[in-house]
Parts: sequence; C-alpha cells; structure tokens
Amino acid sequence: MAVTNYEILDLTQDVTTTRTLLHESIPLTGTIISGTYGTFPSEDNIKNYTHGQFQSVYDYPYLSSSANHIFDISIGYDEASPLSGSPGVTLEAKKINMYNQFSQVLLGYTGSTNTVRKFELDLTLDEVGAMQESFFLNFSRLITKDQIKKGSVSITLGTGSWATPFAGTKVLTDVSASDTGGTTNTFGGDYGLLYSSDNVVRGLVFYQAGIAVLSTSSFDVMTDFLSESAGTKSVAQVFVSSSITGACDALRHRVQNISFNNTTEINSTIYFCRVPHNKYNHSSNPTYLSASTIRVKNVATDTPVAYITTIGLYSSQNELLAVAKLSEPLRKDPTNEITLRVRLDY
Amino acid sequence: MSLKKFGENDIILNTMRTYPKSEFFIFDSNIYYNDKPSQSGAFSAQADNVPSGHISLHEINTDRADGTNPFIYPFTYKQSSGFALSGSKTTDAYGTVISGSYPLSASITREFMATAGQRNTATNPDTGLTFQTTPVYPHFYALKNRLNFYGAISEHYKVSSSYGDKANQTINLTSIPSIFYGQKINPGSVRLDWYFTGSLIGTLEDTKQNGELIQTGPVGSTGSGSVAGVVLYNEGFILLTGSWALSSQTISLEAGAGPKNPSWIYWGAGAHDNVSTSTAGASYLTASSRLSFEGTNDIQVMTMFAHARRGEVNYSNNPTYIEYNQSLVEQTSSQIYLENNSRRIYNFASSSYTDYSASFERQVYVSRVAIYDDKQNLIGVATLSNPVRKKEDEDLTFKLKLDI
Repeated sequence: MAVTNYEILDLTQDVTTTRTLLHESIPLTGTIISGTYGTFPSEDNIKNYTHGQFQSVYDYPYLSSSANHIFDISIGYDEASPLSGSPGVTLEAKKINMYNQFSQVLLGYTGSTNTVRKFELDLTLDEVGAMQESFFLNFSRLITKDQIKKGSVSITLGTGSWATPFAGTKVLTDVSASDTGGTTNTFGGDYGLLYSSDNVVRGLVFYQAGIAVLSTSSFDVMTDFLSESAGTKSVAQVFVSSSITGACDALRHRVQNISFNNTTEINSTIYFCRVPHNKYNHSSNPTYLSASTIRVKNVATDTPVAYITTIGLYSSQNELLAVAKLSEPLRKDPTNEITLRVRLDY
Repeated sequence: MSLKKFGENDIILNTMRTYPKSEFFIFDSNIYYNDKPSQSGAFSAQADNVPSGHISLHEINTDRADGTNPFIYPFTYKQSSGFALSGSKTTDAYGTVISGSYPLSASITREFMATAGQRNTATNPDTGLTFQTTPVYPHFYALKNRLNFYGAISEHYKVSSSYGDKANQTINLTSIPSIFYGQKINPGSVRLDWYFTGSLIGTLEDTKQNGELIQTGPVGSTGSGSVAGVVLYNEGFILLTGSWALSSQTISLEAGAGPKNPSWIYWGAGAHDNVSTSTAGASYLTASSRLSFEGTNDIQVMTMFAHARRGEVNYSNNPTYIEYNQSLVEQTSSQIYLENNSRRIYNFASSSYTDYSASFERQVYVSRVAIYDDKQNLIGVATLSNPVRKKEDEDLTFKLKLDI
C-alpha cells in the first residue's frame, strides 16, 4: 500500500475502547453423560484413569478426534467428616486429598491457623455450615470460556430409585446469583449457591474456575443411591466403600441435565480516522493517471476526486499493523470531510 | 513477593512459519477433507454436524441435534457498544437477546463458467432493443483486477493476453476459504489430479512457483507441459482454462449437458457445483479429482528468560515451608500486630544416610513462573512439568515460550 503521509491519531480524542460480553448457551443432557455411547458404566465417552482420582466425560467417544472434553467428576470428603475412618473405607487418603486440593485452590486457608478452609453452604466463609462431603464437577475451559454466567446454572439430579432415577428429580439453580450480587469472592474467584426448589442450598458453583461443588445432601434420604450385584448403597456408603470411579459412575447415572451460559469478554478498540476536506483527494493507484493526466479531471480547474477503499493503521515507527477494508469505496473530494470508525475486536 | 524485571536481552520475539497441508478428494458429489472418514453420531448423521469435506469453525457441537441433545449457540444482548451477531437489527430495543447459531463451516466450491465474461440481457420496452445487464458470472468480474495485477508475474494471469481472452473462455473456478490456508497458499505446493475410472489421467503442479499450473503427468499425456490455469495464492482461487481432452472417452461432467471428454475445465466436478449422477448422468461416477496444497501460517513466538540468580528466589510462601506448630503471631493487641520473626524453616535437605537428618540447607522448589505486566497485573503463568530444586548458591534460568 503506497502511503505518502500519515495522519497521527490523537489518543485522547481519536481512540476509545469498549467491552462486550458474548455468551453461549451450553446444554449438557444426561444422554451424553451416561448410557449413549455404550453400556453403563463403561461408555466409550467416559475416560477412567489408573490413578482412579477422577473421571472424564467427553461429548463423543474419546478415541475420536471429534470428541471434546466436557467435564471431570470426582468426590472427596474432609478429614473431619463422620465418614472419615469408617470401617471398610476405600481410597480414603485420595478422597481426603481430593477435598483438600479443591478447597485449597478454591477457598485457600483460614487466617492464623493456616488450615485449609472447608466448603460452606453459605456465602460467609465463617467456618459454620461446612459441606464435608462433596461431588466435584470440573467443567472444561472449552465450554466455560472466560467464566460461567452468574444466575444461569441449572443441574437436574434424579432422586428416584436406581432403576428409575428420574422418577423424582431435584433441580439445583444459582437463582440468587447475578452480576450485581449473590456471590462471594475468594481465592478461586466468585462463587454462588446452588439452591433446590425447596430453597435449601445443595451446592456451590465457582464461576471463573468453572467448578460445581455438590453436597451429598441431595441424595441423603435414598437407600439405593447405587445398586450393584452386591446390593444397594446409600450415598454415604458409596463415599466410604466405593472407589472414586464407582461414586462418579453413580452420580452420572443420576444426572438428567446440566445447563449454563458461558461468557467471553470481547474487548474492542475504536479508532476514529478523520479525513479532512483538503486531504486524500488524490489516489496513488496507477490507474488514477492516464498519460500523466488525472482521469477524473477534464480541465485543470476541476476538483480532484478519489475513492477510499482501505485504511492502514501504522505503529509509531510507521510499520503497517492492520488494514481495514470498506465494504464499498467511499467518494472523497475537497467538498466533504469523512470520519471512518475502525473497530478492532480482540 | 518481590517482582523481577526482564532485561533488554531477556525477551526475544520470533516468527515461526508453518505450512499446514490440506487435501481434498472429490467423488460422487462428496468432498473428503484430508482423507477423514465420515463419522456417524448417536444423535446426528454426521458426528461433527457439518457435511463431508467441510471444516467446523468451533467444533463444539459434536453429535448434537435439536431435541434430545440440543446445540450450543451464541447469544448476546443488544448493548451500547454496538457489537452485533448476524441477524441483529438496528430496531431492536436495548437488552434484546440477539442469538446466532453453530456450527459454522467452510469447504471448497467449484464454479463452472461456460463463457466467463457473459452478461445477461434485457429488452428496452420502448425501443425493443436488447442491451446487456448484469454479469452471468460476477465472480469472474470481481477477479479481473486481481488477475491483471498478477500479470506482471506471468502472462497467463492476464485476462486478455497472447494466450487469449478469458472473458470468452470457459473457466473452471475453485474457491478455497482462507481457514484452510491461513495467510496464503504456499507457492510450489499446489497439485491437482484428474482420475478417470480410477486411473490418473492428468496432474497439474505449480512447479515454477509463479502461479502457472503446468501439466506434469502422467508422462506423455496429452497436453503435458502446457499451462492449464493459474493459482491466486493470496486470495485462494484456482482458475483452470485448459480444455484439451485428457481422454478420448466421453462421460457426464456437466449438469444438464451431454457427455464430454475429461479436461481441466471439468476437474473437480461435484464440488458444490450441482453436478451429480442425477443432474449429469451415471457415468459421472467414473470421474474423481484430488487437490492438495500447503497453506502459510505465521506464529509469533515470544521467548522470555526468567532468571533466578544465586541468593534470590530462596523463599516459599507455601504454608508447609515453615515447620509445623509454630506460632505465627508473637504479639497482638489493639496497638500492635507483631509476627513471630524466628519461625524455623522446615529442613527438607536430602541426607546421604538412612536415619540421619542432613544439616539445614536453604532451598526451594520452583513450580511455576508468573508473568506480570508493567502495572503488576498477572497476565500469564508458566507451570513446570516437575518442580525444580533451587539451592541458595545456584543460578537458574527458566526459558518461557509463548505462541501468540
């Protein structure tokens, strides 16, 4: 692009910035969480690991390059939980470590005693109302983007029998959270409360971290949270005697629907490129001249005319950084002035 | 926490140029991209929810369908910032939800221009005279300036030259969306193959890297060594004008027309151009085409050297760095808050002997390096695959690479 002179942008008047929030609606139905890509609990879109500390859910058999990682599931309980030290316990250290890992990262430590905070079913973090046994749903950055939109989370859990889990359901929503309140800011970012329809807090959602922490209280009254050949187990028995993978399978069997909206911040810089009346009325396009005469002028007194097609943005060292193209050429002659608004999204 | 400033030799900016290869195979009105087989889904016929030969922009709506497993879709609210999705209306009230739809996809497209410069005609009702109106093939007119611009590289680009006037020729135009090649098609990497009944009857390559597509094979084939078309590397277009017969047999290659000899103007038939067995004829199945090329994609790489010099970076904020069961606060009252300044650091120096604790040695394990901007906002974190031990008398340098 031939440029013979440059217009210097006045940073106080010619440049401004804006921010836009773009959202995506993310529906995650229970059909992809269990039962579609194989026989429960060994579906092809569920990845288990030899370390047995969590389970990954994909939206398609994970061996395919088309598959996207959707979320991870894990469980854990605090070492002060009544379940801790129970007879017949399986993988207790891992379950306690998992709880501590999440709480340390998301909540940090208490003041002077330097102990890891516990999840609480309120927004106060006053060490009252601890949630000592938890399911963890760690959503992929692919679907949470910058953060989960506050007030948009809905998780439907089946509370029926093992055979017909969705004969009864419990819908958890972060109904009290919004952009202006209903959340608490802590190490892991803002978190809100997940209420069931009876207005009881059943979990937490960390918006920037993209993590939902569900209390086992949603399933406390059930005797068959899990049914297997050896018999049925309550949710407490599952936390004690089942592996983490087994507990995750049992939860997947009872997830009917998860939905939320994500948020992406789009920052824009707007450059106002001002074209004064006495400039840019000529073109350096080779076709502008014919036999050393300006084509658009018949006599010397005619005013020149040019058509603006492109705007180049240059650095302070006159390096071309970006080019903006007009949808159609814009006529410019000495009788008009133009301000072109160039918007750069990033 | 103290911050360290990068020196003038600690940050290097490089450009890494990559050449991603793309390959399309066209057969029976289907396009196969990079030989990727069709994958069926439990909810949708195609797992990636885009037709064969297409690339999905976000690839997040895998195996979804309306109803049982609905699509992820974008939306925003009408705001004063002026941001808009396709379909936004200026008459919408502020706060109106503006939604879009996924998946967004792209693929190559072929356009057969029987006489490229042809124009539609109309009759003046007053005079009864016929006059020319809009172009029949507006894409040809859109490319004329660009073709003449590249005429300095090769005479074959020019619309009108000693090789003829493209406006009067039949042109086979293939459009390649930029998502497949990035900044430009890599000169010298373009190859087009023409298969008839499974046998290769023609190959075009831009061996001169000047945009001319020269027939290079098979050896001794009709038209071998001739230029059959040109490539617009920066714009992603291939124009073929070679009309010589590559086979003496005739087959159906044009919708609504009779059998033709295979030639370069019929290469790629079936690539979203309405050519199929139903529109052309059953013998169309004997034709297949392949296109391969490399794109060009520049990746800016920032390399940062973060130095942890001896005597520095020798303390951890991890609570376990301090020996357990020591009082943090020495004195506190309404007037004073005094921390215990004699707390002991936990000694984790390795001993060479069993049942013997090594002498205290000041050391830390570096697990991550954080990058801050000039206003001390955290803008990036580099996490090491394994923590690196740093002793008091050691100099360490961490090399951080950031692809932009």
